Amino acid sequence: MAVLEEPIKGVPTAMNYIDGEWTESKGEIIDVVNPATYETIGKVGISTKEEIDSAVQAAQEAYYDWRRTPAVVRCRYLYRLRELLEENFEEVSRVQTQEHGKCIDESRGETRRGIENVEVACGIPTLMMGDSSEDIASGIDEYLIRQPLGPFGVIGPFNFPFMIPLWSAPYAVATGNTVIIKPSSEVPFSQTKITELAEEAGFPPGVWNMVHGGRTVVSGMLEHPDIQGITFVGSTPVMEDVIYPGCGNTGKRCIAQGGAANILVIMPDCNVDATIPGLMTSFFGNAGQRCLAGQTLVIVGEDDAFYNEFMEKVTDRAKNIRIGYGLDESVQMGPVRDVKKKESILNYIESGLKEGATLRLDGRQAREIVGGYPDTCYLGPTIMENVSREMRVVREEIFGPTMGIMRVKTLEDAIEVCNESPYHNGHAIFTSNGKYARQFQYDVISGNVGINIGIVAPMAFFPFSGMAGSFLGVLHTQGKEAVRFFTESKVCIHRWL
Amino acid sequence: MNLRTASETLSFIRELEEKAAKFYEELARRFPENETDFLSFAKENRKFNKQIQMAYQSVITDAIEGCYAFDMETDDYAFDTDLPDNASLAQAAAKALAIEDKILDCYNIGAEQSSSLLADVPRNFRIVSKKRNKRLEKLKSLT
Repeated sequence: MAVLEEPIKGVPTAMNYIDGEWTESKGEIIDVVNPATYETIGKVGISTKEEIDSAVQAAQEAYYDWRRTPAVVRCRYLYRLRELLEENFEEVSRVQTQEHGKCIDESRGETRRGIENVEVACGIPTLMMGDSSEDIASGIDEYLIRQPLGPFGVIGPFNFPFMIPLWSAPYAVATGNTVIIKPSSEVPFSQTKITELAEEAGFPPGVWNMVHGGRTVVSGMLEHPDIQGITFVGSTPVMEDVIYPGCGNTGKRCIAQGGAANILVIMPDCNVDATIPGLMTSFFGNAGQRCLAGQTLVIVGEDDAFYNEFMEKVTDRAKNIRIGYGLDESVQMGPVRDVKKKESILNYIESGLKEGATLRLDGRQAREIVGGYPDTCYLGPTIMENVSREMRVVREEIFGPTMGIMRVKTLEDAIEVCNESPYHNGHAIFTSNGKYARQFQYDVISGNVGINIGIVAPMAFFPFSGMAGSFLGVLHTQGKEAVRFFTESKVCIHRWL
Repeated sequence: MNLRTASETLSFIRELEEKAAKFYEELARRFPENETDFLSFAKENRKFNKQIQMAYQSVITDAIEGCYAFDMETDDYAFDTDLPDNASLAQAAAKALAIEDKILDCYNIGAEQSSSLLADVPRNFRIVSKKRNKRLEKLKSLT
């Protein structure tokens, strides 16, 4: 099959978009590298404090008129953006693959998920409606209205460069706020493309802003008194040590989504052939760089025959995964994002082996890379057996294409393993027994629960519900909760004398 | 060649449909008395391509196993569209039926393999298969 054409050409520099103007950052300019080919595909600036301040000022100034723009009119900008995203569906998907490394099927899935959030936000005239009660006492009425607050910061991660900022930004602007998006500087071009389309959609200057960069931009957002709230998706240490306390210090609203080390439970009654593709996607999809990726597979029961047969099928499927550049349509798993991340994953595998795990499938070196690209960022799928609940490979987030295998006697034991994890983002069970499924759903501590689903990614009209270790805040991104997050409830009580 | 991902499988199916569409356009040129039917088959093939593409782009989300949905060999569905210059209408229709068989196999096996994995894509494969029944009857009547 074909290797699809690359959309990013000629090493462009990703620009900031502030107050409706494209400007090159005054900060240090760094390379953006395609991890699949290890070629420099572009450059991006690490913006300065002055640049983030000027974006906040623009967003604050635009807010006054934007919040007075009727919700139905604000939505029309989003409808236009949605149409433009559809028209550019293939291009934006390929940009993700080129800058991140994921397979084209995965990028298209990401594009679809992002667009769905724009579509849901288009319903804001209804979603934003308040409540009212007549005659709370004789002749006195009470009602609630939802009002926007001002500029919001949206801080995106590297692993879903297109979709994740769209969990927030469309709801923010639909409700009458203004936004400043800070994409990951490793993957700046997906958000740059979206912002180009937002400009084409006609958003007034200052409503939709984007500032590339790193810590300075994040600190600038956290410290700025005009920023009303932050949505963040990234690592748990940054969530816990920087974002959440930073928002607390300045009284900002905060949705902070962190890491995960998800556990998938296999009951012996599961539909094995239908389960295995789900496991491949969960553990090795996006090269394991998902906060909803499976990390540990807990197999329930003492039936050695089932275990051996099941593991043989899993291993056989995993070892035959095609690895390479995601723009090659035949590729099933791309590289990890960069060398540092690869090293970190390799260190985790080593720590697992030191702590007593055994290698069933060794992916420390990719067996064969389709297209013969340099193996700088590539890994193969790794399967480690005999992992136990106290090991780092179970308790810490690896964020790579690894599968740890643990055996337990009962479903209760498996749920205990899930609940002992420091992370509670997306645990799942595979079974054909409704009672087991319900028990798991009822007892497991997990913001998102999968029943025969390996990647428990909520649709745009449901909240992305992480829990402890994977989340700090109250409300979540997406859907109605995002609408609540981006609006203040104002209650009015009327008595006409 | 072995097909595994949704992207490559759908690209392959698109090529099959387009190749068959061109074959029908050639038949329309050669057999003017059946031009309307053959051109309508060609047009329908392209509509099927759009329908499948739409289904794929509408449902291929992060939760669905797009990279692991298929295990198909392209050789099993390959066909040629060569037709001798002096071929009769009956021979042409027989050739078209053979092509349709291959395409139907591809859709049916693809639907079976991806049935619990790709949501609306296998459903649309089945719709497209079913919609071909009328043309099969027509082609059979010409043999």
